[in-house]
Amino acid sequence: MALIESTEPSGQKNELVLELRNVHKGFEYGGNGKATVDNNHQQVLNGINLKIKKGEFVTVVGPSGCGKSTLLNIISGLDQPDAGAVMINRKSKSKTNGVVVIFQEGALFPWLTVQDNVEFGLKMDGVDHSKRSQVATHFIEMVGLTKFSQSYVYQLSGGMKQRVAIARALAMDPEVLLMDEPFAALDVQTRELMHDELLGIHKTTGKTVIFVTHNINEAIQLGDRVIVLSPRVRNIKREFAIDMPRPRNPDAPELVTIKRQILKEFEEDFRHAK
Amino acid sequence: MQSEQEVTELQPRTKSKGPSFDISDVANVALFLAAFLGIWQLVYMIGVYPDAILPSPAEAAGKIAALVGNGVLPIGIGTSLLRLVIGFMLSIALGGIVGLAMVKFRGFGKTMSSFAVGLLTFPSIAWVPFAILLIGFSDFGILFVVVMASVFSVMITTYSSLRNIPPIYVRAAKNMGASGFSLFRHVMIPAATPSLIIGMRQAWSFAWHALIGAEMLITTLAGLGYILSVGREFNDMPQIMVVMVSIFAIGMVFDRVIFLKLEERVRAKWGLGQNR
Repeated sequence: MALIESTEPSGQKNELVLELRNVHKGFEYGGNGKATVDNNHQQVLNGINLKIKKGEFVTVVGPSGCGKSTLLNIISGLDQPDAGAVMINRKSKSKTNGVVVIFQEGALFPWLTVQDNVEFGLKMDGVDHSKRSQVATHFIEMVGLTKFSQSYVYQLSGGMKQRVAIARALAMDPEVLLMDEPFAALDVQTRELMHDELLGIHKTTGKTVIFVTHNINEAIQLGDRVIVLSPRVRNIKREFAIDMPRPRNPDAPELVTIKRQILKEFEEDFRHAK
Repeated sequence: MQSEQEVTELQPRTKSKGPSFDISDVANVALFLAAFLGIWQLVYMIGVYPDAILPSPAEAAGKIAALVGNGVLPIGIGTSLLRLVIGFMLSIALGGIVGLAMVKFRGFGKTMSSFAVGLLTFPSIAWVPFAILLIGFSDFGILFVVVMASVFSVMITTYSSLRNIPPIYVRAAKNMGASGFSLFRHVMIPAATPSLIIGMRQAWSFAWHALIGAEMLITTLAGLGYILSVGREFNDMPQIMVVMVSIFAIGMVFDRVIFLKLEERVRAKWGLGQNR
């Protein structure tokens, strides 16, 4: 099985939900900013092309400085590319661009209860109160936090906060769930639980997930497709399709092979950086 | 199903009710007051100062009754509080608007904030001669001084509170479709609330300090500051002491009861220090 490079992913339908076409992005650094290249201009993304199909679970992995955050900001619409295009196949009429981000820190609002946090996006969309509350209740139940719907954020554990963040994103019925190292701050056991839960949610809702991480194990355990970014070529360096049932054991021989290859890519980048 | 377990084991923490009514606190306050009155009475009986200069606690109490009876004290307190509330509201409106403009227009914000910080340290009493010549001996002259004393604090608070909102909240909200006024109303303002309240409390105390000073110097025949200055004119120490106690009590009630309670409620909700 597995180990076919950049071939067709295991998405159920072949409908595209997101496409990046030749996306470029760079930053200007002032005076003594780090990582300075010619003329204080640092190119971060150099012509990225990426197609994501509906229902896919794509993980993006790369060493720090590979442009993960920049790519994420561009996909989420929080930042604009210098050149190239981001196309999203939108179904809903919400005010968002169809991509909702789950941040590493959760970014829940401490002045709102769990219920109000989950309702927030719908409120911005002008959904009426009873409909809002119904949708929020449904997704809070899905992440198993019904008892905590009236709690405030500080009363929740790290894992619970990320569940609220997932419920808040799902409530908006996005085309793409974009997760930015969402479990990086959690302990190992909680992270495993969250993986199971996320996979369950992915299965029941059929949402497209883009999951950004620096953790290779996490990337190969979760993704239908693992995309390796490189700070050296400032682009996608390799892509692995993993057609294995989940939950996956990261010590399975197929996965270990992939892990070695990804590590080799990282090392190569590291050698060149020196 | 393991995840279900994690949830059932944890229970929501009970909401903190803020400072509770504690009998030992009351006893401490009573003891403190008794000691204070005791020393006062002792100094009076030893006769360090003549009667006319240092009245006994009983005489002071009698003066309170007299000033309340003839309506001077209640009217004075009412007048001062009215001026304080109006002045403070004006400061909030004015300082809030300028503060928002400072956030909106970067260059203006930078210039104005250093200017406002300078004026923040400016003694409020130094506005009095200017106010008298510009406006005259009237309520408006007093209001002018009160506003000048507190408006810059409101301005700086609004500016810095809004600028220091953790950017992650704004990013998340924008990603969920918030923009313009709804971003401001549902994210910026609540996110800035804890520090806004602290700033408002400070502005209130600046206004209160300025008010009494202005009332003493800008004579308008009413207000606590005016009664205080009349006490000095007539060598009426009991009256001076009664007004001082009133000023102390009012400041205490507003700061401890209103602002502190408000601050504690917000902080408890955010999970910031339950330890008062």
